[in-house]
Amino acid sequence: MCCSRNYRDTDLQYVEALEILLQGLCGVNKERLRVHEICLKSGPNLGFVASEVRLLCDLEQSEPTWTVKHVGGALRGAGAEQISVLVRSMVESKASKNVLRLFYALGYKLDHELLRVGITFHFQRGAQITVTVSSVNKMLKLHATDEAVPVTPGIQLVEVTAPATSENYNEVVAAVSSFCEYLAPLLHLSKPGVSTGVVPTAAAAAASLMSDGGGTTL
Amino acid sequence: MSVVYCHIFRRLISYNPYRKKSTTMPLKRVFFWQPNAGSTVNSQILNEVSQCVESINGVKEGRWKATLTFYKPMLRDQALSAEFPREFIGISLPEQPNKYYFVLRFNKIVLESDSSIQLIMEKLQSYKSRVALNFEGFQYQLGDFQLRVGKVVPSHSENLRGIVMEVEYLPISSLEKSKQIMEEFFDIWQDAISKRSLPGRFIHIEPDFSDYGLADHYTSQHTAVQYTHVTSQLIASVQAVQTGRN
Repeated sequence: MCCSRNYRDTDLQYVEALEILLQGLCGVNKERLRVHEICLKSGPNLGFVASEVRLLCDLEQSEPTWTVKHVGGALRGAGAEQISVLVRSMVESKASKNVLRLFYALGYKLDHELLRVGITFHFQRGAQITVTVSSVNKMLKLHATDEAVPVTPGIQLVEVTAPATSENYNEVVAAVSSFCEYLAPLLHLSKPGVSTGVVPTAAAAAASLMSDGGGTTL
Repeated sequence: MSVVYCHIFRRLISYNPYRKKSTTMPLKRVFFWQPNAGSTVNSQILNEVSQCVESINGVKEGRWKATLTFYKPMLRDQALSAEFPREFIGISLPEQPNKYYFVLRFNKIVLESDSSIQLIMEKLQSYKSRVALNFEGFQYQLGDFQLRVGKVVPSHSENLRGIVMEVEYLPISSLEKSKQIMEEFFDIWQDAISKRSLPGRFIHIEPDFSDYGLADHYTSQHTAVQYTHVTSQLIASVQAVQTGRN
C-alpha cells in the first residue's frame, strides 16, 4: 500500500523555497530525480479485464536501473473519504534491463511515457516518507528522453508518499498528514485528483525562506 | 576405487590456476537424464546416481529445490493464441531466494527480477500459472565442485518425470575458461556412472547464451535459461517414449 498527497506549484520561486524548507524539515540531503516512466496496457485480447503496468527507468544512476510497478485501486468507502490521504495498493519489483522487451512480447502495448525530473527526499518521520518535487515531461519522439518537454510548463508536482501495510496504514496516514502540516505556510497538499490553489501565505513564506535560507521559523 | 577418484580430483584441483573461490557467481552445467530407447526414468535410477556421487567421495550437504512454472495467457478469444508466447516460464532458484526469473524461450528473452514480480503478475491477471515442476534432491560437495542431483516432479504429484544433475565449479565464473575442467570432470563422472550399467545417460546441451544477450561471465540468468532448455528436452524425451509406446 502507499499513502500520498500531491500539489501543483505554479511559481518556480516557490519551488526553490520549498526545497529550502524540505532540506530543513527532512534532515537529509536531496537526491536528484530523473525517471523515465513507461506506462503499458494489455492488448485488446489479453486478459479478461484490461491491465496496466508501469516500468520505471532510473536515469540518474550511472547504469540505468529498472523497476516494475503495479498501482492498484484506492481504498474505498465512507472511511476512506474521511482520510485526508490517498491509500492504494502498490507493488514494485526491481528488474533487469530486458523488462520492456518482455512485456512487449507478452502482449502489452505502450500507452504513454513520461520523464520526471526533479529532486527527492527520503527520511523517517513516523513512517518512511518520500517527498518528490518534479516536473512532468513528455517525449516528442518515442523514448527520446533527451528531447522531453514539460507537459505543463512552470508547474511542478509535489508528492508525499509512504509505504504502509493493511495493519499500520492508519499510523502512516497520520504521519503523512502531520508532515504535510509543516508545509502548510508554503503550500497545501491534497489527495491526488483534488485541485488546490496557492495558499495565501505562500508568497510571504517563500520570501522568508529565500531571504535567510530557511533560518526563520514559519 | 574411491582412492583412485580422490587422486584424480586432487589432480584437477591442483591443475586449476583459478583455485581461489570466485567472489562472483560460480558457473554450472545442468544435465538431464536421457533414458535409453524402450526404458523410462524411475526412482531406482535416481538412487543409483546418488550412490554414485557418494562413491566418488561426494559429501552430502543438504536438500535443494528449484521450481519452474509454465504460464498461459488469459485470452478472450482462444483463436488468437498464436499471437502470444508459446512458452512463458517462471523460475525460482535456491541460490537466489529473493529473485524470480522469467524466460521466453522462443523470443530468447530472460529477465531477472525481485520475487515480488509474481505478485504483480497475479494482480495483472493477464497470465496465470498452468503447471509447475519441482526440481529437488540433495547436494554434494566434491572439492571445488558442487553437485546437485534431483528428481523432477509436478508440484502436486510425486510422479517422477525426470532426473537432473547440476555440476557447479566454484572457482570460476567464465564459461570459456571453465570448459576444459568441466569436460574433464564429466569424463570422470561418466566413467563412474557407466559401471552401474544404468539404462540411460546424463546429457548436457548448452543453450546459446548469447542469443539471450548473456555474456561469458556466468549468472543466475544463465541457470534460468539452462533449466528452461532442460525442461523442454525432458518433455520431448517423455513424449518420444509415449509416441514409441503408441
